[in-house]
Amino acid sequence: MKRIENKALLFDFYGPLLTAKQSKVWDLYYQQDFSLAEIAEEEGITRQAVHDLLKRTEKILEGYEEKLKLIARFRKDKERVKIIGASLAEISREDFADEAAWKRHLEITDRIKEIIAEVLEDNSELFQDNWD
Amino acid sequence: MATSIRLHRMGAKKNPFYRLVVCDSATRRDGRAIEEIGYYDPTKNPHVIKIDEIKALEWLSKGAQPSDTARSLLRQAGIMEKFHKSK
Repeated sequence: MKRIENKALLFDFYGPLLTAKQSKVWDLYYQQDFSLAEIAEEEGITRQAVHDLLKRTEKILEGYEEKLKLIARFRKDKERVKIIGASLAEISREDFADEAAWKRHLEITDRIKEIIAEVLEDNSELFQDNWD
Repeated sequence: MATSIRLHRMGAKKNPFYRLVVCDSATRRDGRAIEEIGYYDPTKNPHVIKIDEIKALEWLSKGAQPSDTARSLLRQAGIMEKFHKSK
């Protein structure tokens, strides 16, 4: 299942470089979870042609990643930013001589947290609804 | 009319997030789902899979066909196994 995430990222980063046809078929297969047969019917081509197109598109996208490594960098940056957040959380009231200094620290922490949230762009909770 | 269980991508760019939905093959195009039965969040470590087991089993027993990816999620959640035992 790790695969589907990799495919999603490939398309998010390099999708605009694909042709309309390539991105349409990719979208149907990987984002809307259509079967090869369903796409073939939709596009009026054979199932084999859909399969070939997807494989070819995958090669193209992977070629871009190999050269540009934007996804690898994105993942690395994400991890690092998480470490920044975790490090920040290690600082406690005892580390400060007085209340004013602690308050100031909290203010700065809030600003950093905001930036971290922006960098991570994690909005998955928006889509979770009430499943818990 | 064929009913299927499939994943539907949501989430922002670079943050993939999927809903597990039940949909009719005739209305699949506009993405209208009959019912949402769970979600899959691959960005978390470990991945988060949440599926409403009762609903999933109900749809499976009504003959809804899961896509390959959906089937794999259902299997990971232990729902396929329960479904096969119940037959």
